[in-house]
Amino acid sequence: MSQRVSSELLEALRDSAPVMLGYVPLGMAFGLFFQSLGYHWLFAPLAGLIIYAGSAQFMAVGLLASGVPYAEAFIATLLLNSRHIFYGLSVLDRYPKRGLSRWYLIFGLTDETYSLITAKAPRVDSGHTYYLYLTALNQSYWITGCAIGAGLQSFFEFDPRGFEFALVALFVVLLIEQAKIMNDRWLLILALCAVFVAHFLVPEQFLLVAISLCLVALLVRPKRDLLNG
Amino acid sequence: MDNQYLLGIFLVMGVATFMTRLLPFVALTRSQSHPLLARVGRSLPPMIMVILVCFGLSSLQIESLDRLGLSFIALTAVTTLQLSIGNPLLSILVGTGMYTLGVQWFGIA
Repeated sequence: MSQRVSSELLEALRDSAPVMLGYVPLGMAFGLFFQSLGYHWLFAPLAGLIIYAGSAQFMAVGLLASGVPYAEAFIATLLLNSRHIFYGLSVLDRYPKRGLSRWYLIFGLTDETYSLITAKAPRVDSGHTYYLYLTALNQSYWITGCAIGAGLQSFFEFDPRGFEFALVALFVVLLIEQAKIMNDRWLLILALCAVFVAHFLVPEQFLLVAISLCLVALLVRPKRDLLNG
Repeated sequence: MDNQYLLGIFLVMGVATFMTRLLPFVALTRSQSHPLLARVGRSLPPMIMVILVCFGLSSLQIESLDRLGLSFIALTAVTTLQLSIGNPLLSILVGTGMYTLGVQWFGIA
């Protein structure tokens, strides 16, 4: 038992290492940015613990600075994170049906965790410990990054310019790993077309619109895929 | 500094984020074995990664030709390394290192 647990932990550590390289610098950038508000630096890792969403946390700094009401922050976050609505589709069958771990796994379903989990074949073994380790490790990288960034900034000036590229690099790596295991790569071209159309139509919400377009395309052209799959 | 307001905003945003991630789990419990849905669930992740790469690039806020060139070089480095060597750590470190050096040391604005 303990041997299996440790091997799953090792596997999760290995698989999540790229996310660490993306989350730590990006979390640092958030921490530095957060310090511009003048709160105690420990609130930055707390944001990573409670909110745990990159773009929403960056938005939070702006919202806090302008002192928006709670309702507005709620709706803005729903809109910003609405792409996550589609992520559950891919992991419904993999996640445990009940228990505390189910709720934590759903809470921690970020872009990167989603990508790592869907890039692997569904696990046949009974436990969901691997998913738990992976999700918890990713969140711990993020919280660590938030803490380092805010801590550094509160003690001395630190220049984070350029760190934002880590997220792009991470997404590129995750895309390549996903593309390696897929059969029908024309779907990638389709997704690129969806980005162009969405960016042309609604530049400020192109992320959500592009994902919706892909979803619609998959739903209305299912026959060929079903035969192939 | 109003710590209570700060915590309130954190909690509200945390709940909203959780709700977006939770929705399919509460809405689709009965139909999850439908083959079409399973197919969509399988095909969507790589497509979403394409969209997220574009989203990441757009959030770099490239406003000059120099920065565009730097981004292109760093992006090419990441892609080439990942396709040839396939070590994610190396790809991300080299790409981000090149970009950060370009921005901070060579002053590419």
